[in-house]
Amino acid sequence: MSGYDSALSIFSPDGHVFQVEYASEAVRRGTCAVGVKGSSCVVLGCEKRTTLKLQDPRITPSKICKIDQHILLAFAGLNADARILVDKARVEAQSYRLTLEDSVTVEYLTKYVAGVQQRYTQSGGVRPFGIATIIAGFDANDNVPKLYQTEPSGVYNAWKAHAIGKSSKTVREFLEKHYEEDMDDATTIRLTIMSLLEVVQTGGKNIEVSVLRSGNRIQQLTSEEIKEYVDAIEAEKALESEKKKPKNKE
Amino acid sequence: MSRRYDSRTTIFSPEGRLYQVEYAQEAIGMAGTAIGVLSPLEGVVLACEKRVTSKLLDNDGSTEKCYVINDKLVCAVAGMTADASILINTARVHSQHYLKEYDEDIPIETLIKRVCDIKQGYTQHGGLRPFGVSFLYAGYDDRYNFQLFTSNPSGNYSGWKATSIGANLSASQTLLKKDYKDDISLGDACKLAIKVLSKTMDTSNVTKDKLEFATLSKLKSGKVMYKIWSEDEIDELIKVSGVLDDADLGDDE
Amino acid sequence: MDIIIGLTVKEGTIIATSKAATRGISILKDNDDKTRQLNSHNLIAYTGESGDTVQFAEYIQANIQLSTMRENEIELSPKAVASFVRNQLATSIRSRKPYQVNALIGGYDTKTQKPSLSWVDYLGTYVELPYGAHGYSAFYCTSLFDKHYRKDMTIDEGLKLLQMCVDELNRRMPIDFKGVYVKIVDAEGIRQIDFN
Repeated sequence: MSGYDSALSIFSPDGHVFQVEYASEAVRRGTCAVGVKGSSCVVLGCEKRTTLKLQDPRITPSKICKIDQHILLAFAGLNADARILVDKARVEAQSYRLTLEDSVTVEYLTKYVAGVQQRYTQSGGVRPFGIATIIAGFDANDNVPKLYQTEPSGVYNAWKAHAIGKSSKTVREFLEKHYEEDMDDATTIRLTIMSLLEVVQTGGKNIEVSVLRSGNRIQQLTSEEIKEYVDAIEAEKALESEKKKPKNKE
Repeated sequence: MSRRYDSRTTIFSPEGRLYQVEYAQEAIGMAGTAIGVLSPLEGVVLACEKRVTSKLLDNDGSTEKCYVINDKLVCAVAGMTADASILINTARVHSQHYLKEYDEDIPIETLIKRVCDIKQGYTQHGGLRPFGVSFLYAGYDDRYNFQLFTSNPSGNYSGWKATSIGANLSASQTLLKKDYKDDISLGDACKLAIKVLSKTMDTSNVTKDKLEFATLSKLKSGKVMYKIWSEDEIDELIKVSGVLDDADLGDDE
Repeated sequence: MDIIIGLTVKEGTIIATSKAATRGISILKDNDDKTRQLNSHNLIAYTGESGDTVQFAEYIQANIQLSTMRENEIELSPKAVASFVRNQLATSIRSRKPYQVNALIGGYDTKTQKPSLSWVDYLGTYVELPYGAHGYSAFYCTSLFDKHYRKDMTIDEGLKLLQMCVDELNRRMPIDFKGVYVKIVDAEGIRQIDFN
């Protein structure tokens, strides 16, 4: 509020780079995205805005983008910014393959994306990217699932499970409480959807989910598959609350 | 209070918003309305309200709000026309370049994405203001056949069955929502467009010199081709659509 | 003396490439694959200056893959791929150090359900053909194709015709080209088959 936040990105006397912090606000305004690691898969889930009555259902830009055969990226924040960053990542993935014959590792790609985001916090005349990303995938010839997150500041971390975007704090707390090591695929998908349901009031139809497995196997769940999970979760919840009721009476 | 965050070029406000972009959108909200209606099987219509009308204005055949990008893609503009012409030129270049490189017409969404990437660039770097234009695109490709898109200064785009840009946005969209049908014919789409436009325009009676029409449809040969309507054709549509009768009725009441 | 041959049959395109990698009078290896998969229904087979060939094919491969990623899994059609390759070569020959690469592109258009074979050379020539070959193999095979080729052949009949070509090459070619790898591009995608 003192002039240190209006020039593009500079330090204020108390050590803040306001533009970067404000960019994180833009992330917090974006729809929620979740990533969860299982023993043999990574699952990405996103809140999906409702398509309006007059919107063309054939053209629904997804918030989960394929970067290469083995890597997906989910984002929260400004859509247009994400398109640019995703494109840079895709070009890097192919360019890496061309020079090194190998596909990019998930960590390398994360480092690259974070690096681009950092550069936009320290270059002249630019604002930071208003997005956070979750990057998931498998390295070539490897069965270990990988999950990373990047922030507008250029910070990146590896996670077992993580959420970004609107109400991500609630989702993160939920994940902290319910995450278990070595979950099988179905349990991982279930946990992802369950955590999203914490903040997506409208239920299954506003959720999109993708599952990655080793060997370039990427599967986008259909709305019917998601609905099955949602129904099962809701049935279970109903059962639990039923169990609780008589106890309360006692 | 907000002055501090909007006087420079595009930067984030403490709430994570981009005021410059929002103000650009604000400017478009005052521009003449453009309406697009998709007839999934037969074509797309773009209908625009011209604001600059004068008896002394000479008609040299040029249009104010409708522009051709290639044979299968036309767009309508709301906002700063001078800004638009820069982007339209870029779109035309991209479209021809793709045709040269791949010997196929550029897919509609691909082209729109490229134009939007340029718009996004002006919201992030260079120290320049964002483009003050929204577009309505009517296009055809073999991926999704006929399509209708909008794009705005932030660099976002979306696909629609019927929508509008410019002034009286919510009024026109409510009307479209009420009367649009998924199996609408192109003829009915034109009538719907002019009906909605006539109700949202500031003037009470619709005349051909205040309107611009463009359609995209299949010729008898099966080839898809755009058409920018002549004044006589618009006049004919005004008569057929009965918007003038509606207006008369309105006056009587 | 590399051999690359291609022919389209009713339901797909067959591409055959020699296994020998040669330099001067020596055979360096006998399991060289002179093809690259560009996307799920497009395969490029190449011949020319060694080094240039792989460099070029992989550059094309990276670009076509990038396009697949950008277009949300919608892949370029065989015609678009061939046109892109032609453009790259046409640009290259007007540069200081042109690529010395000739190529065949076997494709299957999933939209029109038609197989195609594109013949492209280092000058930037591009023609779509029912059958074709580059280099010396063209001298030996073209007449066989002219006599025996039919548009409505099945894959098996196509492979039989290819066998005649390979037999002729084995008989006439001055060096041993170590046999051929055969790949088929059809509605199912790209697959390699046993052939000797």
